[in-house]
Amino acid sequence: MLRLSWAGFRERWTLFAGAVLTVCLGVALVQSSLLLLISAAAGSAPAGATALARMRFDASTEAAVALLGVTLGFAALLAVFIISSTFAFTVEQRRRELALLRLVGGARRQIRRLLLAEATLLGLVGSALGVPVGVGLMAVQTWLLHRLGFVPDGFTGRWQLWIVAVSVGTGVILAVAGVSLAARRAARVRPLDALRETGEATRVMTTARWLTGLLFLAGALTLIGLSPVGGAVGGQAMAMNVSVCAAIGLTLLGPSLVPAVARLIPVRAAGVLGELAAANLRDDRRRTASTAAPVIVLVGLLLGQAAASSSFTAAGRQEQQRWIAADLVIDAPQAPGDRVAATPGVAGASTEVEVPIALTTGNGDLAYTRSATALLVDPVSYVRTHPGAGDLTALREGAVAAGPGADGFSPGDTVGVRVGDRDLGPLPVVAAVPQAIGGGATVLLPAEVVPEEQLAGVPSHTFVQLAPGVPRQQIVAALTGVGTVSDLDAWLERDSVARTATSTGVLIMVMGLGGLYALIGVINSVVVAGATRPREFASVRVTGFTRGQVIRTAVLESVVVTVAGLLLGLLAAAGTLVGVAATTAAVTGAVTVDVPWLLVSAVVAGTLLVTAVTSTVATRTATREHPVAVLGARQ
Amino acid sequence: MQSETVIALEGVSRTYGAGPTAVRAADGIDIGFRRGSWTAVMGPSGSGKSTLLHCAAGLERVDAGRVMLGDTDITTLDDDELSELRRTRIGFVFQSFNLVGALTAEQNVALPLRLAGRRPKRDEVRTALAAVGLGERAGHRPRELSGGQQQRVAIARAMVTRPEVLFADEPTGALDTSAARDVLRLLRTSADDGQTIVMVTHDPAAAARADAVVFLRDGRIVDRLAGADVRAVADRLVALEA
Repeated sequence: MLRLSWAGFRERWTLFAGAVLTVCLGVALVQSSLLLLISAAAGSAPAGATALARMRFDASTEAAVALLGVTLGFAALLAVFIISSTFAFTVEQRRRELALLRLVGGARRQIRRLLLAEATLLGLVGSALGVPVGVGLMAVQTWLLHRLGFVPDGFTGRWQLWIVAVSVGTGVILAVAGVSLAARRAARVRPLDALRETGEATRVMTTARWLTGLLFLAGALTLIGLSPVGGAVGGQAMAMNVSVCAAIGLTLLGPSLVPAVARLIPVRAAGVLGELAAANLRDDRRRTASTAAPVIVLVGLLLGQAAASSSFTAAGRQEQQRWIAADLVIDAPQAPGDRVAATPGVAGASTEVEVPIALTTGNGDLAYTRSATALLVDPVSYVRTHPGAGDLTALREGAVAAGPGADGFSPGDTVGVRVGDRDLGPLPVVAAVPQAIGGGATVLLPAEVVPEEQLAGVPSHTFVQLAPGVPRQQIVAALTGVGTVSDLDAWLERDSVARTATSTGVLIMVMGLGGLYALIGVINSVVVAGATRPREFASVRVTGFTRGQVIRTAVLESVVVTVAGLLLGLLAAAGTLVGVAATTAAVTGAVTVDVPWLLVSAVVAGTLLVTAVTSTVATRTATREHPVAVLGARQ
Repeated sequence: MQSETVIALEGVSRTYGAGPTAVRAADGIDIGFRRGSWTAVMGPSGSGKSTLLHCAAGLERVDAGRVMLGDTDITTLDDDELSELRRTRIGFVFQSFNLVGALTAEQNVALPLRLAGRRPKRDEVRTALAAVGLGERAGHRPRELSGGQQQRVAIARAMVTRPEVLFADEPTGALDTSAARDVLRLLRTSADDGQTIVMVTHDPAAAARADAVVFLRDGRIVDRLAGADVRAVADRLVALEA
């Protein structure tokens, strides 16, 4: 059986090259993310660092681990999705060949074994290529992590020998899993199907597929529904996952949806070529859906996440603008003390110092300690510059207030707080400021609980309110000695970008690399779709189409499928925007939706360009032989 | 032994579709095929020729009746047993040769044996290829062979398992006259050596090479000629189509 597999490989290498490529890149992406995740988690602060510096290091490690965890998750999701759909597609494309084996006496179980043996072989080859590619990819990801400031200088991903086993295992298991479902269906092919030139129209949409697809769409709708009640953190996570669920759901329903959407595109206007293209799209719904699938995933995930991220950044900024009552902000290398408030013309000043803390929530066996941040404030000044903060009079030494980024505790609870090596002990939560969509400190502490010497070198920012009628210029000049003075709006702009650095980082790391991977999936499916059709192209040519017309028809088809995929992908992304609107309205009181139009147009134009070019090349290759020669070589 | 029936259709019926558009492709067909006989099945298009062949070969289920291959009622077999049957007791040759494009002639011929879990002896396969006059083409792939040669590889593949019945569906339909003549000569030799052959064709010249011709119309056997020449077969067919 394996020799038969090998013969099949040589014959259909274009079909299999694509499958190997998806395994290779999937394995590389998963391997690199996993190694970096382990390296980041195992990192320790440089010797001789102060307690606070060690804490800061732990906090950044935790952020990097979280980022890499998400990256790994997305890489795995994409790998599962793209590898399984590519492999299933290659099986579908070989119906006739498999029916032929059935005709000469192949039992179902033998067909299944053949396909699984092939998948194993392809998985092995893909993984073997993926391991070295993964090493290269790790260098790229490490560079990105440094660039984005997620890891300290000197951080490197460490190579582990056992990763080879994990990578090869991942590649083979995903390939086999991708094929196994398709193999079951393919093994059900009737021997008589081999006698039909085109193969009987098969049911593409199985009940299981319908159910799973609808389940994912229901999941997306549920997430939209729940996002306004999820709070700042939960709501954002739910809104962002809407496009993931929606993209998967729409892809599963693709064989029904894509042709229906493609029908809305007036391709017939292009004359007889357009009519043929439209007919082809309708005729082979499976191919149409398989070509559109990676486009839906690419556009849905990439644009969904990007739009959510930029919307939440904008919402955070607008929220702060409403929430902070100040004219100037001073960034100083350490707390300025009373100098600001004492400056003539300053009506009020609130100095805030953000420090990393270890926060313990729950008690007894359920106690859980994590890295968090505390904002050291003077409660009276804080309330003045943050008029919506509520009553903080109870916030004094021996108590904490839940901060704008609080999660998992509320007034009435008791939390443990440790700043550097100073354990402040269990403290009652006496108040809570409203949760902010842009996040922020987990708890507020009165400034006096941390002695000044421990805060040496910890930067602060001070919100300054000016007395009416005082020339702004004069005060700015007077305060320049304290630190860098900015207008509130300019400061907020910078601050919101810094605050959403994590989600931006996720976007660049995950979506950038994942998007590239999905794009390769797009190219792949177009190549596979073209490479398996030389016979069909040849029969069109003998009816009088020129080669150029055949190519134009095929390109037209690809473009229409891509447009349909883009529309469905945008629909999935729009789902996330609805979740974003609901979340921002619930948390900040105002609907904030910010669509990164430049990225949207770049992705749309790029995808169209890539599919058009790929389709041209694939069809040129598939029509290189003389049509009569192609039709003469019967199977 | 000359009169032993190898395969018999007993009251076989098969209807496609339902309601007013239903087509009775086989309507209570009773027919037996003797060992070493070559029977041609003819009839106008839509008369049920292919259905008869497919039902007899277990490729199509029957609505009523049974198909006896020796002592086995193949209509009761499950898919695995039918697969087993196809690689041991039944051989097929089709109009479109249905060779596996990725495999050489030799590998194609060895396929049924390999599927049966046997490691075919090199001689066995070479002999089968030599019997169809392609001993020296063993290493060629289908696309490097002419139509006639491809069909002869298909015959070698069908015969390598020494099947009890060889089913041929328009075996000369895609061939030029001279290639068709070669294929028919090959079938004649096999039949003379004791191979039972059931062949669907619309070519009177092909049918005339068989021992007997059975005529179908509307899913029923309407006539049977033995030892007729091309002219007689053609006349009978024309009469049926009128």
